[in-house]
Amino acid sequence: MLRRFTLVAVPLTLLVPAVAVATGNNHLEISATPQPVEVVPLPCFPAGRLTLGMTNTGRKPTIADMRVSGDAALTLSRHQFSSYLPVDQLVKAPLEITVPRGTAPATHTVDLTVGKESLHVPVVIKPVPARDDVLLGEQAVASSTNGNMRLCGGVDGNADSAQWGASGWHDNTKGVFPDTYGVDFVQPTTIGRVVLQTLDSTTYPAAVMGIRDFDLQVRTGTGPWTTIQEVRANTTGRVTITFEPRAVEAVQLVIHDSNDHGYSRIVELEAYSN
Amino acid sequence: MSGNLPDLVDAAGISHRTDKRPLFTLGVASGDPLPDAVVIWTRLAPGPLEPFGGMDDRTVDVEWEVAEDATFRRVVRRGTAHARAEYAHTVHVDVRGLRPWRHYFYRFRAAGQISPVGRTRTAPAPSDEPAVTMAVASCQAFYDGFYTAYQDVVRREHDVVLFLGDYIYEVGVGPTAGVRNQAVPVDFAGEIFTLDEYRARYALHKTDPDLQAAHAAAPWIVTLDDHEVEGNWAGYVSEDGIPHDDFLVRRANGFRAYWEHMPLRLDQSPDGPSIRLHRHLRYGRTADLSVLDTRQFRDDQTSTGGWLPPDEVSIDPARTITGDAQERWLLDTLGRSTSRWNVVAQQVAMAQLDRKTGPELELPMDTWNGYAASRDRVLSSVRDQDVRNFVVLTGDLHRSVASDLRVNFADPSTPAIGTEFVTTSISSGKDGVDADATGRALLAENPHVKYQNVQRGYLSCRLDRTQWTSEFRIVDRVVTPGGTASTRATLVVEDGRPGTHLA
Repeated sequence: MLRRFTLVAVPLTLLVPAVAVATGNNHLEISATPQPVEVVPLPCFPAGRLTLGMTNTGRKPTIADMRVSGDAALTLSRHQFSSYLPVDQLVKAPLEITVPRGTAPATHTVDLTVGKESLHVPVVIKPVPARDDVLLGEQAVASSTNGNMRLCGGVDGNADSAQWGASGWHDNTKGVFPDTYGVDFVQPTTIGRVVLQTLDSTTYPAAVMGIRDFDLQVRTGTGPWTTIQEVRANTTGRVTITFEPRAVEAVQLVIHDSNDHGYSRIVELEAYSN
Repeated sequence: MSGNLPDLVDAAGISHRTDKRPLFTLGVASGDPLPDAVVIWTRLAPGPLEPFGGMDDRTVDVEWEVAEDATFRRVVRRGTAHARAEYAHTVHVDVRGLRPWRHYFYRFRAAGQISPVGRTRTAPAPSDEPAVTMAVASCQAFYDGFYTAYQDVVRREHDVVLFLGDYIYEVGVGPTAGVRNQAVPVDFAGEIFTLDEYRARYALHKTDPDLQAAHAAAPWIVTLDDHEVEGNWAGYVSEDGIPHDDFLVRRANGFRAYWEHMPLRLDQSPDGPSIRLHRHLRYGRTADLSVLDTRQFRDDQTSTGGWLPPDEVSIDPARTITGDAQERWLLDTLGRSTSRWNVVAQQVAMAQLDRKTGPELELPMDTWNGYAASRDRVLSSVRDQDVRNFVVLTGDLHRSVASDLRVNFADPSTPAIGTEFVTTSISSGKDGVDADATGRALLAENPHVKYQNVQRGYLSCRLDRTQWTSEFRIVDRVVTPGGTASTRATLVVEDGRPGTHLA
């Protein structure tokens, strides 16, 4: 244990704050868009995305700490948003809100607080919409996911290769194959057509960066994976595989190589009943 | 945060914490030693990976004391600092009134808890010339490996540790933290932009026990490279091409979290998107140490970190990697020095590193190789000012390289005017190999390159009146714990004879 500290005069220099802090001042605007924010109770559905903002309306730059909290029904991707704030510049950060599958339609609130300022953002839980693409928003499963990509990126309804960075998926094992990516359904689901959109943009054509060799597999019940089709030497961006419709528990691609032999890049994986 | 840490403060202002979790989860550190002073550091974080480190927004008093002995019987300085929420409850105390070239022990106390004990050492008196040992390290990607090399840094008892950048990486850390196979909250999966995210990333790295032990064993002198902000950033230019105003906010956030988590003085505290990291530290008459920042003031890369032939941009005479003010400061500092060893601690390779077989050149353009005029001005000045025993210490490359420095690398018959030692990474790049194609090419194509290796480790140096000795310590594996450290090669520089050779 420390011995009792005695009061002695010592020539010490304590470091002191160099920047004024926002807590308690009135020179800060909190924003959030859109309002209300809509959430769909599916694990990978592209909803529940809120852009948080802070604007310093004072005369000096500052540092601000925003606390983010919500009703217990909501799962939030962040509980804090701190930033340096120059004068009169909107500084933004994303917040993702999800709710468990089966959550009933309702309205909740997310609370944003900086010092004495606060903003209450309405959150509307929507019913699950009718979907032709039965993978859209369902729980993606992958062998690995690169730190800068999103596991859900391949089933989020965005098949645009130009938005690959924000809305695609690739593995985290460069040069190591096979990689797998697919969806586990919560109940048997009939599929008869699978569509793969691999990376294929002007900058990154499929013949250079896309998935080259892969197997489409499905699983029924608790049985083993069944290979529906093997695709080899692919150089196109969009690959459609049609087969006799069947009820399956899960669907996945087993990727054996890509055209750059590095990563397995999926912009979107879709499945339809026929 | 709900439920985490409501401190209760009574009428006398005494805090009664209801959260009994350990506070000093991120260890202690010291840094930037002077003959009479050293900065001591800690952070209160009962939930280091939680929002706000598990703290609420109240200020917490933190008592500190510095003693001559590890049992704190001979306490020489003590006081109380304040851990504030706006500084992520970090504490920096610039302890003055110490004696030169002495070991000291320090610890903190807050809310009835006592921190681990750190050991530090002040710099020698200005007129003294003792032998000095220093460890030089860089590049510690959390997900690429264990920090086994730091166990060796501690075992060998260095007087000071120099860290030359890439303390954190801004890219996402997956749910199992790469090779570490350790659960990391999903919040760490993405690239970081905001101050809370940079703070959390430092906390994640600082949970590592080997890193904590290395900080507790010796003072550190640190500078940053690109990944403390964003890979390949240059001045106000982002790798992602985002608007400059937005990037400067990100840069300010990166700088702020850096200062908060490093044992740096207030002089190095950032003013928004500006930070003064270039600074001068003396180790008596043994060594003058110039610490550089080659990121904040550089012109943009000719390409994003690639190996390319020189072009009209890379040889533009107006081009700079230091900025004009830092360059003038460096050349002035070198010119005034009366020390035996004149050391520049900085980020990116200064020696010409050609990896293309034959007469054509292929150079790493995000290093001094892409800023030829900057390098020419510095090396010409070293020659013209007759700078004594010029030694450049470098990180970034994830490989060990030892080179002679000369003004004209194309002419091996011209005299060497100094030496560069590039330290490999602590963990970045996983295990590595003894020699890869680039390493073999560096030895074959560059007569001034004396040694290369591509395994993980650090540089263990000893400076005395007759010789500089660099031991390239390597670790046989980092992707699993328990690797073994050994000396792969020892290179020396003799006093008064520029250039290096194998011992």
